[in-house]
Amino acid sequence: MTNKTEKKGFSRRQFLKASGAASAVAGGAGLGLFGYEAGKDPRTYRGWENWEGVNQVFNRKKYAVDQPTCQKVGPTRRVDARTEVIFYRRGSFMRQWREETGLEGMEPHIQEYYRKNPEDLELDIYSQEVIFPKLMEDRKKYQDQFRLSDAWSNAMGAVSPPRITEPPEVSDFPRRSRRGGSTEPVKFKDPKKTSKLIKKIAHELGSTLVGIAKLNPDWVYKYTSIGRGFQSDEPIEVPKHWQNAIVVGTPMSWDPMYANPNYGTSNDAYSRSRIIAFRVASFIKQLGYAARPHTPGTDYDLMVPPILVDAGIGEQSRPSIVVTPELGLNFRPAIITTNLPLHPDKPISFGVQDFCDHCKICAENCPSDAISYGDRVEVRGYLRWQVNTAKCLNFWNSTLGSMGCRLCVAVCPYTRKSNWIHKAALKVTADDPTGISEKALTMMQKRFYPGPEPQKYYIPSLGGENASYREPPWWLRTEDFIE
Amino acid sequence: MQFFISGWFWFLEGILTCLMVVGLKFYMEDKGIPMPFWKWILFGLWILLAGFTIAFVGTSLGEGEPTAAKLGGILFGLTSTISGIALWRILLTGRNKT
Repeated sequence: MTNKTEKKGFSRRQFLKASGAASAVAGGAGLGLFGYEAGKDPRTYRGWENWEGVNQVFNRKKYAVDQPTCQKVGPTRRVDARTEVIFYRRGSFMRQWREETGLEGMEPHIQEYYRKNPEDLELDIYSQEVIFPKLMEDRKKYQDQFRLSDAWSNAMGAVSPPRITEPPEVSDFPRRSRRGGSTEPVKFKDPKKTSKLIKKIAHELGSTLVGIAKLNPDWVYKYTSIGRGFQSDEPIEVPKHWQNAIVVGTPMSWDPMYANPNYGTSNDAYSRSRIIAFRVASFIKQLGYAARPHTPGTDYDLMVPPILVDAGIGEQSRPSIVVTPELGLNFRPAIITTNLPLHPDKPISFGVQDFCDHCKICAENCPSDAISYGDRVEVRGYLRWQVNTAKCLNFWNSTLGSMGCRLCVAVCPYTRKSNWIHKAALKVTADDPTGISEKALTMMQKRFYPGPEPQKYYIPSLGGENASYREPPWWLRTEDFIE
Repeated sequence: MQFFISGWFWFLEGILTCLMVVGLKFYMEDKGIPMPFWKWILFGLWILLAGFTIAFVGTSLGEGEPTAAKLGGILFGLTSTISGIALWRILLTGRNKT
């Protein structure tokens, strides 16, 4: 009897021990498969399908600060967008520059700018005389490879609200509807509740992130050259009704974004953000308040990144783009200026300034050397990293991609899909006061997520190989679909 | 449905972990190796490290980053192996050899 019990007990123990060993193996395999599915999970493509604000997940209150991280360190000066915003200056350059007349043939303010910044004149001339002819040459040879990504980019940009052509005093205010509705402003009970309502509406309209700031007049252009109701030779007087700024925006599609510069586009997020901004403005106007959308690519009367910082959307980074906790640099914003009484959000500080101080992955991967390796410098009275935008745009024109370059977005350690690894890394770096984790993770990032040599991103005529940071997604590989 | 990122997977993983712990307990008892609480804590930490390593490799492959999978596998795999050997030697301390 005793023997029988012992035998039975021994057998059960053996079974449980064997089960334990088998469970360890099965559990390990399960974790591997969990990881694989987590890496492929479409829900990690944050911001594309989950609307209604479920993607604004970062606990901003915990990281709120009273002063924005781009500190004011000296007397401030507003931007002359005609010359200091590269897209507008390059446009004027291409229209006005003739070798025979030189600077004398250009508008006085552009002459003055180039006399103070001769290196920018050199870069602008280089673009026109060297880069464009080579680009045209390579387009003939290689453009077919990018037919699908071109078509996709153009399709995403095909729908757009009409451009604003009237001054703020006219265009921003509500007009009586054909049915004779009131244009009197409704009386809201409480700015805090109004802010909550506007955020909900913006999320409902498709915005991934939403923030609100009191508009700092320093961010409004001093001069502009794109119209929108302003004269290019008269300084902009900041309209009194531009009291608050609402930030909305969406990410670019993740897979093409990682395949920058040749397969990416900004058109997808630009288009979505633009439409959302116009819809939010329409909502506000119908309640009787003034609202003006400032939308990508170039329809702005103000600088966007510092408003994002003020609104607590993120922090300005080394490549000057704002890093958001949820999307990294992969966020394309639009702004709505309004006189609707709102309660502003606080700026946040979640470690980006320290991280960008030593990371420099964007600078190392930038083919044009446009991103500084140095410290932050005073720019128009504020402390920030400065980007050489002329070099940056010259590289845009040195690729066959649909719409410039977003390599700094793709390589940034913060621009990672929202799987458990990257969410954990964000949490660790945001909460580590020692900076040790930042350094360790940056080191790992550089080795674990390498890209091609920067020179390879150029077109072949400029010594490159039409390379991209990552392979394009299957649906943008022209060679798989078209003979 | 993607089973491995569902709640059911974690439910199953919990059962497997329990079985593993029970199996280890019996194994150690049969070998005459005492298992005070601190040894269980060390064992739990090592399981987390090993699990992290496997999941890191899988996730990196899933998100299309084979270099991260390879280098992460080597770095964390070596760490897990070395710490696993050290842990085993620690677990054997106090063994009743009679």
